Amino acid sequence: MTNNWMKKQRLLGYIFIGPSMLGVLLFFLIPALYSFGLMFTNYKFMNPNVEFVGLDNIIRLFKDPMFYLSLKNTAVFLLAVPVSIALGFVVAVVLNQKIYLKKLLRGLYFMPYITSGVAVAFVWMLLFHPTQGPINGMLRSIGIDNPPGWLSTTTSSMFAIDIIWVWFLLGYNMIIYLAALQEVSPELLEAAKIDGAKRGQILRKIIWPLVSPTTFLLLITGLIMTIKTFGIIQAITHGGPGNSTTILSLYVYQNAFRYYDMGYASTLSWALFIVILLITLVQWIGQKRWVHY
Amino acid sequence: MKKKAWFTGMASLVLIMGVLAGCSGNGNSNAGSEASPSANATASSGDPIQLTMWGGVPPESGPQAVVDAWNAEHPDIQVEYVRFVNDDEGNLKLDTAMMTGQDVDLFVNYTISQASKRVEAGLALDLSKFSDYNIDEKMGPDAKSFLIDGKYYGVPTTKSPFFVALNKDALDAAGLEVPKEWTWDELREYAKQLKQDGGYGFIQHTEPYVDPIDSVLAKEGYTKADGTSNLDHPLVKKWLETLNAMMAEDKSTPPLGEQLTSKMPVEQEFLSGKAPMLNIGAWLLRSSNNFTDFPRDFKIAFAPVPRLTDNAADYVTRGGLGDYISINAKSKHQEAAWEFLKWYADGGMAPMAAGGRLPASKDADQDAALESLLGDKADTYDVDSLMYVMFNNPAPTYVRSLPQEVMDARAQEYEKYFLGTQSADDTIAAMVKRHNEYLEQNQ
Amino acid sequence: MEMKARLSSDVPKRLGLTILMLVLAIAMVIPFLWMISTSFKTPAQVFEYPIKWIPSAPTWEHHVKVWTGPKSFGTYYWNSLKISIIGMAGATFLSAFAAYGFARIQFKGRNALFMLYLSMMMVPPQVLFVPKFLMFEWAGIYNTHLALILPGLFTIFGVFMLRQFFLSIPNEITESAFIDGAGHFRIFFRLILPLAKPALATLAIIDFSWQWNDYENALVFLIDEELYTVPLGLQNFILENTVDYNGMMAAASAGILPMIAVFAIGQRYIIQGLTNSAVKG
Repeated sequence: MTNNWMKKQRLLGYIFIGPSMLGVLLFFLIPALYSFGLMFTNYKFMNPNVEFVGLDNIIRLFKDPMFYLSLKNTAVFLLAVPVSIALGFVVAVVLNQKIYLKKLLRGLYFMPYITSGVAVAFVWMLLFHPTQGPINGMLRSIGIDNPPGWLSTTTSSMFAIDIIWVWFLLGYNMIIYLAALQEVSPELLEAAKIDGAKRGQILRKIIWPLVSPTTFLLLITGLIMTIKTFGIIQAITHGGPGNSTTILSLYVYQNAFRYYDMGYASTLSWALFIVILLITLVQWIGQKRWVHY
Repeated sequence: MKKKAWFTGMASLVLIMGVLAGCSGNGNSNAGSEASPSANATASSGDPIQLTMWGGVPPESGPQAVVDAWNAEHPDIQVEYVRFVNDDEGNLKLDTAMMTGQDVDLFVNYTISQASKRVEAGLALDLSKFSDYNIDEKMGPDAKSFLIDGKYYGVPTTKSPFFVALNKDALDAAGLEVPKEWTWDELREYAKQLKQDGGYGFIQHTEPYVDPIDSVLAKEGYTKADGTSNLDHPLVKKWLETLNAMMAEDKSTPPLGEQLTSKMPVEQEFLSGKAPMLNIGAWLLRSSNNFTDFPRDFKIAFAPVPRLTDNAADYVTRGGLGDYISINAKSKHQEAAWEFLKWYADGGMAPMAAGGRLPASKDADQDAALESLLGDKADTYDVDSLMYVMFNNPAPTYVRSLPQEVMDARAQEYEKYFLGTQSADDTIAAMVKRHNEYLEQNQ
Repeated sequence: MEMKARLSSDVPKRLGLTILMLVLAIAMVIPFLWMISTSFKTPAQVFEYPIKWIPSAPTWEHHVKVWTGPKSFGTYYWNSLKISIIGMAGATFLSAFAAYGFARIQFKGRNALFMLYLSMMMVPPQVLFVPKFLMFEWAGIYNTHLALILPGLFTIFGVFMLRQFFLSIPNEITESAFIDGAGHFRIFFRLILPLAKPALATLAIIDFSWQWNDYENALVFLIDEELYTVPLGLQNFILENTVDYNGMMAAASAGILPMIAVFAIGQRYIIQGLTNSAVKG
């Protein structure tokens, strides 16, 4: 093999990523740079009178109590991600072993991910209804006299949303874990069994490290996806009651599509970008400790 | 920096980016003068003019019948109706369609703040260029609320009353009169007396929920003489406390948290006889005429929306006119659109009455519209009180014109109050603060 | 044989586990059941407490309305299928292509480019909308299906996901082929793609459900009703100040079928991976 050939093969890298890169450039990078520019203007959608306002939007951001509140709500929202990853892993492991109705069960756990958002929103509102909902009915019947108000109070609403989000993401995490588990060789597992390794140990010492690249993927994409989501909250609470479920991305959405305040919406979304970037960097640096390729 | 200079700078930046070149072209044509109504393509050729009208009412609830009737009479001008959902996203869709020069010739604005945004963007035509239709004369004094910078950029076409719908049978059984003017304290007493076991005496659609405050401030001003927020007006607190007492003490109206999170179907609650009083607008008529989906065994009477102030002479009520229809300033067929609009306002819109939209123009056939409004169900309504809230209520009217940002901030704060996480005084302080911040930002 | 003995002792355990998972699964399908049940109810029954899962007098009326009348869902359905299938196929292939480059080829600037990719995934979509809209208008694809199909071909998530999978395929497999003189193209098409079937199928399933459910983009970029997709069609059931939940749920339950089909087909490949598993070779 000549050095020349090796070099050529290496250059093929650009060809492999080329087409995809073009799309990212067109549909992400250029629009993103444009929105970066908007941050320094008072552009209101449709309105032709655009002025350069320097750092006004950024100063406004730091003085905006709604910004801080939405950050806090976002943090609470993010709690759902690790929980649903853990549950998704457990379900995937169970559904990957000898069990009846495997196919049907996998399908059922994936259902939330494909059910119409309106139906999802509606059913959870019915289930969580403070006085007539079945969840509180059950809690009362086991002796809890003052069950939480779930979506109807400002203190519990964000946690109710968390429950819904765990439920929603679970099937998605499960199916990606399932794909990953297919690459864990059965021989490896058999060998571990012959060695007398206990089930729990197999899970912890063999399977978990083997799927760690997938866990890493799910953690990063799950956090990013969750931070960017607003549809489900928009459908269920519109950010209320009060502003107790207004997460940052919903606040961006309101500023952009409800108030048409594109300058401020851009500023907010770059703040959102920085938050995501920091979280991702921390994970990226931390991955060396627990992700095994 | 000058506005245009910045915009050109911005545009050239975009040009450098290459792909976005198109936006600068679009932006500049916007920023330039009002789009020229040059091509008033009159029907010189044989092809009929195609007009497109965008509205928020589902076509089967009237608009389709309206344009069908027009199209049959006017082979030279054919109108197509496009429906958008009147929410944030639907309005965004209309606005992007207009900005990209899609075929939008006429469009309906449902709030003043939407209309003003479109006027600022140069998308709504100044109707003063047409001299053959006097909007003030046709629509009466209420039309004044729709002047934007002193001009009409659209025609308010419907009567749009808000009222409290009453279960007449329940009122009769309790020996209560149908009021012609009343206060919230009186309504509270009614609600207490009418409340059945486990049910509510009074429910509200979320759309007119906050109207009592707007009624006060539309009259007294949203800002004080010094330009700061007037949301600490004493009657605002009175509204908060009255309603809260109805929720917490009397339990005669649903707690707000419960209402919001269960998406309470108020029309259905009322029409099925579960709740005897409902604060709502004219759109109730469509459901109350529909006995298939909403079977009903009582008569409906109507009362004006109660007032917070003791003095009836100080009261203004929400309503007056609605459905502010504009012509797209970029439309190629402005004359044709204007012809259609006049026809629509002067009675062409009659089929819309079945959904609660009565024509506002004095030249429209009110009796026919009323007939279509009530259909064959006239005897299930107390028609006298309906006529009163529709036509004869002497209270002056206002149209909600508060910017969306302030509406939202206000709603978030009073929700916290009704949910018990914030005191009335803190709530008012927070509303005032957020309103002042908005005022400062948008000087 | 040992196998047999284990099997018999396994049965009660397997049964128990199956039942447990089934019970939990009910919680996952409740909204789906509600959807179906509501589509057979009358409007007055929608809000009834306690929730009645089987309506007392089921009616087909709403389902009939969805498929007949002036606003039949047929066109929307066809449009959605076209956009989602092209998008899914293109996105899966392009992602695999790029993911291979990122996972298996050492070229200059690879890590920096990958970080750029990742960071683009973090940009909130709400603000990309105005520039995208201006761009599409300029390119003349606003109000055409291309405005959905073209961006749909690119998914950063897909590249990231497949890169992670390709990384976990043992290096020895490709290295030996490389030493034998096979180029990257051959390795990609002959070795990696077949090995990555479970991952590709998974991505395809997820991507299809994204494309099928995409509402925001379709709403803004499509104007003509003949171009509408299913999620836009659902908006027809939003009336003034009220919602026709029965009609909407009838349409939505029909809208779920293609996703179930894609899932069922895709799942076969996920399981197939088990039998001719990567690491065996």
